[in-house]
Amino acid sequence: MKLRFRGQLDRVFTIATGLSVVLLTLVLLAILGPMVYRGSSAVFFQGTVEFRKMQKNLFGRGDEQALHAEVAETEKVRQQVYEMIDAFKKGVDVEALSEQVRQIHRQFGQDLRDRNLPAGEYTRLRELTRQIRDKLEAAFRSQDINEIKRLVGEVLKDESNPQLKGTSAEKLFAIARQFLQAAGQIDLGKHQEYALALQEAEGILFHSEALPGLLGPRPGEPPAPLVMLRYGATRWDQAQTLLDRFLWVEHWVEEKPGEPLVLQRKPRAELFPEPLRPLFTYVEQNAGKMLHPRRTVYWQFLRDDNVNSHYFGGIGPEILGTMLITVVGMLFVIPLGIISAAYLVECASDGWTMRIIRMGINTLAGVPSIVFGLFGLAFFVLFLFPLLGFAPRPCILAASMTLAVLTLPVMIRASEEAIRSVPATYKEGSLALGASRFHTFIAVTFPAALPGILTGVILSLSRIAGETAPILFTGAVSLGAVPRSLFDPTRTLSYGSYDMAVGDRLGMMVPHNQYGMVVTLVLLILILNGAAIMLRTRVFKKLRGH
Amino acid sequence: MRKAILSAVLVALATGTVARAETLRIEGSSTVGPIADAFAEYFKSVNPGLEITVNKNGSGNGATALIEGRCDIAAMSRFMSPDEFAKAVANKVYPVAWTIAMDGICVVVHPSNPVKALTSAQVRDIYMGKITNWSQVGGSNTPIVVISRDTSSGTYETFETLVMKKQPMAQGVEYVNANPQAQARVKTTAGAIGYVGLGFLEGVKVVPIDGVRPTKQTVANGTYPLSRPLFLFTNGFPKLGSIPFKFVTFYLSEKGQELVEAKDFVPVTNY
Amino acid sequence: MMNDGNVTLTLTPAADSPRPLVLTPGQDLRGYLAALLGRAFLFFLTFSSVLAVMLILVFVVIRSLGFLSSSSLMEFLASQSWRPTADPPVFGALAIIVGSLYVSLAALVFAVPLGILAAVFLSDMVSWKVRNVVKPIVEILAAIPSVAYGFFAVLVLAPWLQREFGFSTGTNALNASLILAVMALPTIISVAEDSISALGRELREASYSCGATRMETLLRVVIPAAHSGIIAAVVLGMMRAIGETMVVWMASGNAPQIPHPWWDLAQSVRTLTATIAGEMGEAPETSLHRGALFAMGVLLLLMTLGMNIVSEYFLARAKKAGGKA
Repeated sequence: MKLRFRGQLDRVFTIATGLSVVLLTLVLLAILGPMVYRGSSAVFFQGTVEFRKMQKNLFGRGDEQALHAEVAETEKVRQQVYEMIDAFKKGVDVEALSEQVRQIHRQFGQDLRDRNLPAGEYTRLRELTRQIRDKLEAAFRSQDINEIKRLVGEVLKDESNPQLKGTSAEKLFAIARQFLQAAGQIDLGKHQEYALALQEAEGILFHSEALPGLLGPRPGEPPAPLVMLRYGATRWDQAQTLLDRFLWVEHWVEEKPGEPLVLQRKPRAELFPEPLRPLFTYVEQNAGKMLHPRRTVYWQFLRDDNVNSHYFGGIGPEILGTMLITVVGMLFVIPLGIISAAYLVECASDGWTMRIIRMGINTLAGVPSIVFGLFGLAFFVLFLFPLLGFAPRPCILAASMTLAVLTLPVMIRASEEAIRSVPATYKEGSLALGASRFHTFIAVTFPAALPGILTGVILSLSRIAGETAPILFTGAVSLGAVPRSLFDPTRTLSYGSYDMAVGDRLGMMVPHNQYGMVVTLVLLILILNGAAIMLRTRVFKKLRGH
Repeated sequence: MRKAILSAVLVALATGTVARAETLRIEGSSTVGPIADAFAEYFKSVNPGLEITVNKNGSGNGATALIEGRCDIAAMSRFMSPDEFAKAVANKVYPVAWTIAMDGICVVVHPSNPVKALTSAQVRDIYMGKITNWSQVGGSNTPIVVISRDTSSGTYETFETLVMKKQPMAQGVEYVNANPQAQARVKTTAGAIGYVGLGFLEGVKVVPIDGVRPTKQTVANGTYPLSRPLFLFTNGFPKLGSIPFKFVTFYLSEKGQELVEAKDFVPVTNY
Repeated sequence: MMNDGNVTLTLTPAADSPRPLVLTPGQDLRGYLAALLGRAFLFFLTFSSVLAVMLILVFVVIRSLGFLSSSSLMEFLASQSWRPTADPPVFGALAIIVGSLYVSLAALVFAVPLGILAAVFLSDMVSWKVRNVVKPIVEILAAIPSVAYGFFAVLVLAPWLQREFGFSTGTNALNASLILAVMALPTIISVAEDSISALGRELREASYSCGATRMETLLRVVIPAAHSGIIAAVVLGMMRAIGETMVVWMASGNAPQIPHPWWDLAQSVRTLTATIAGEMGEAPETSLHRGALFAMGVLLLLMTLGMNIVSEYFLARAKKAGGKA
């Protein structure tokens, strides 16, 4: 009985150890899985016609004619949206109307001056249009339909005036008539409200002062200063979020006093009077036709430069910078680490100096990485570079050297362990056969210690490629040209990810790019590591004689 | 063989320092950084030969870089400290400040929070830990989760001076390191209160302070109590017509103002 | 080069070695000089790399001197009020020191049992082949950059903790210590596994022959015998946790307070590394504030030095124990 119990317990224990590894694997998957999933959408997604426009304009990619045809097709469907909004605006956006009327009045005065009319005639005509202007503006301001009818009626009497025929003033009558027609259909008391609601809806549909919209700016509009405002939703998932915001309004309403408010959604169409409501159904039904979503593989994400702080484009320069810093850093770390470890094991006596050195090296594990950055700036950039005749400014070389110092302890320690664990009999055999100590190290000790050394390489490589803080002061920039030499600063994946996470809100607007950058960094490190791990397995197999 | 190629590439890289076009180096605050980014991108599109680098490593580092001649323009979300000025002058650097935009700091709560307005005294008491439940300021019975920016940020400094009046914050206050994080924390936490820049109001509810709602107008004309200027610093007055001069005066142009607004800051002129 | 890795090569140098059995005095001298020069060169390289590393320690200490000499050390170590930008500034780091130790220890509570179980699994439960598959998983955990861990902590773990456990905040000591536990695990597993497998078969076989089950052998014989190595693993894991910056900065909530009650992991805490990383950039170059941050760095150095001495001691003992067995 007791034996059985012990056997059970033993099995439970075995399972527990197995579970611990399963748990580790799950943790790994939980961390990498969602990240890779979201990051992959930087490359694989449903691209809209806006995406193809952007690619053509910013990167010169894609077939010109096919794009033209596609744009023409989508514009045809969008035309109706423009028309519906314009028609509604004529009755509602009284400030824009007033501005338009004033503009026409000014233009008319200009035209009259150009025609060199006699002074009396000029004054009379100017007075006439001024009266028309004032009456129209009064009509725009009025909330009483009868008064509007009277004022517009008075204005329209002058339409037959031959002196205004064919002049720029004629437009005034068209505006007046359209306004009268539109005003008859809506609740005039709500002018202000409608105008604000329309402004918001237009912001979502086209673009607002700071945020891109669903369809992008209307044709003929002067280009916005920020490139990201010049295009609509380039991705279908983005478009759907915007569409949802366009169709629904979220309100937090009080159900009981003193309790938290409750979220309520209601159709945005309800904010508007009857004439504009069809717009919302139209946009909802024709969103696909206006944007043409199509499966897209944007592999150039790994090559392109970015536009507007990673709103558009890719991470090419960041990948290049990370690789450069990593490679140059490893060029310092690997030889220095191995040589130092070899010296410490083979040549130096194991006295108290060694102990202090080892202690000092290990203590560095507790130094926060940002301190390395400040050290790199003070020592390499400001002290060592002028000494060697280089310009004392942050650059790739300085960043690599700083990171090398950061990872040297890891490398030295791993190599030291590896070299130390090579059995003394190997060395003794070689020395007994007459090989020199140097030759013995190169031919016997080093290959035998290689697996352990490669573990050190793996660990330090991951840190070099992934650290942010040390390069913040020594060679990383958030914006700058692609580096042309080791004496230029560069952008990197690690700093880029950090910058996007804490910078402005762009990171939140384009999470796919943010995750894409992090995932690329992780994958880059994993690929490099995979190579090192495979190398190690091969070396191991050779060493064990399989 | 591979080594030979590798070393050839490296030598080419190391020696490939071509005489390059004019470079403009900007360092400093991560708050002003986005404006600098936008300006830089516009400048590069107009002057193709120009190289601009932007590094957002903090106002303090920006100032140091300017003093030690490592950058042309320092972006700062606070004014230079007297120490920094003294050090600059000792280094024969004469900092000139350019106020390129205003930043409004909005007090935000979770959208489900029924609180309609707060006074700055109430906000101070919340951050000092004297008020710990929303019911004490007319809200529901929910404990308050107080979120602040980290003590070193310019945003914190402004908040501390203008709202806290240099009173210490309570110990339980949570510190986050950037505007997006502050916004995300408030957005996802029912009892939270925090403060963020004007560009980070999506999904959170802005509370008017002392009866004034933060808008571009109220921030620019100073009626909203929590606003602060953002600076660029140059070494001396830049030569008229030079690139640094154009850069630091760009905010005066219409394009510059549009860019400032597109980045959700408030232009100093225009209103 | 790699092909030469096996035993055959160890024979070749002697076979084609040009070394004559008897040297002329000139050859002898030249050989001696070459060896000396080579040694000097190697010494120089080693010295410079060790020097660069050591300089950091000096750098941190020097930069903190300004603060340590002009400010009250008592206040720094005993006050809980950290208000570096107030007027006058108060630099009390006690809560932050406690926070650092707090999250690291909590991380160990999660990581040590799991790490030892996994180490036992790798060393005693599975074949060499399976081990070669599982080991990279552990190494990948070590390879993920801390920025990625930080993202995970803020965007995935924090909302999840808030939702599932009803915490008022998701960025708290629990979040930070969970992530730190994952980051410390690879170190703990690999060092613990080394010391467990270094004990050799004899001990295990002796135990089995007495009729003990595998569990009893491991828990009562192997792990106690390997305790020095395991303690060293724990200390090394703790060092990893206490020195980590970016993750705790993003995940811990950064409130400079001592949790009350002490076991409440749902509260936000602030660590030394996070404070240094967060405030270094904004603090004016020559200010007391910067000095105080560097003084925190010195404190971290002292902590890791202490842990280091402990781990060295136990590793040395583990080596002796392994040697005996």
